[in-house]
Amino acid sequence: MTERNDAEAELQELDRRLRGIAFAPRASLGPEILGRLRRGERPEGGAHSPRRRPLVAAIAAALVAATGAALTLRAPMPVRVDRCCYDLDGGGHADDGVVILAERDAMVHQLRIYEDLDRSGTFTERDVVRLDRGASPAMYRAATKGLVTIEHCCLDFDGGGPADDGLVVIGVPPDRVVMAAIYERRAGEGAGTAGFPLR
Amino acid sequence: MPVPSGSAPTEAAESLCRGWYEAYGAPVYNYFRFHVPLPDVAEDLTAETFLKVVRAADRFDPSRGTPKSWILTVARNVLGDWRRRAKLRQYVALGTMHDLIHDEPSPEERLLREEEVGRLLDAVATLAEADRELIGLRYGSGLDTAEVAQILGIREGSVRTRLWRVLGKLRGALTR
Repeated sequence: MTERNDAEAELQELDRRLRGIAFAPRASLGPEILGRLRRGERPEGGAHSPRRRPLVAAIAAALVAATGAALTLRAPMPVRVDRCCYDLDGGGHADDGVVILAERDAMVHQLRIYEDLDRSGTFTERDVVRLDRGASPAMYRAATKGLVTIEHCCLDFDGGGPADDGLVVIGVPPDRVVMAAIYERRAGEGAGTAGFPLR
Repeated sequence: MPVPSGSAPTEAAESLCRGWYEAYGAPVYNYFRFHVPLPDVAEDLTAETFLKVVRAADRFDPSRGTPKSWILTVARNVLGDWRRRAKLRQYVALGTMHDLIHDEPSPEERLLREEEVGRLLDAVATLAEADRELIGLRYGSGLDTAEVAQILGIREGSVRTRLWRVLGKLRGALTR
């Protein structure tokens, strides 16, 4: 009887410990969702009910096949991805965003780090640009000391679909950014000394 | 106020999104945090969930349940989709507990708390998927047993029984 009481007490204690766990999403997540909604961004899986899945899957498969055939016939079109808001400059506030113009899952044409001054959750003309680079990652205005590396993984930064991209930002807190690049974490890649190529 | 895919949302849709996120953003995020090790991924899944529910708001039927249980049903589907995609790639954990709410005054106490929560969630991760689902809904989202029963489509008594059994498994995992 005592053994059973002990077991129940342990489970109640475990219940109490689990109830005590709470996480808080970053404060800027709500504005970011609204920003994505305003831009008409579609959810990855689409807004469909489970009952429609077989039909939707069949249509999607046909579309994918048709799109695949079309894509082989023309050059890839760059996509623009705007992700906000994180602490990318080391200032201590999740008020920075990144705009990336890239071919899906491939080459980056432009990468811009900005501070979301107007709290819109997206890049606007009112925001401050901390770094604006072209196709190749390079160090700008390199500092001799105080460099800090900030990394975010994994999200979809290149419009490829899966959240498999990392973003690495090097700067001098609180507001200097001297380098930023993305990399892709695909299973099987980056093993050994090869690492993940920066884009 | 549903939003057709690809079109700009109306003010009503934005207001709906804001209201639902303010009311249910934290339960949805915590549900994901009981299932995925990375705050960034939990944030992405939370955003995905709210984009979906606003676009599918016309399918919400108040007579069949609360907005919270409907949104968490969508969240479960989003998690299922993510799991299928996640099988294709690897993840690196970066600062995995920076989003933990705590009232420990010193860094050392915070570290201990993070370790304790990490051990608990590691143990949860060893459970079968159905058991993890129960733990995520009950403790992550903070649903009561009636709400969990509604989402899972089972009787409330079954939820209580299964929950007790899962806690026993979790205790076993923690002592191994």
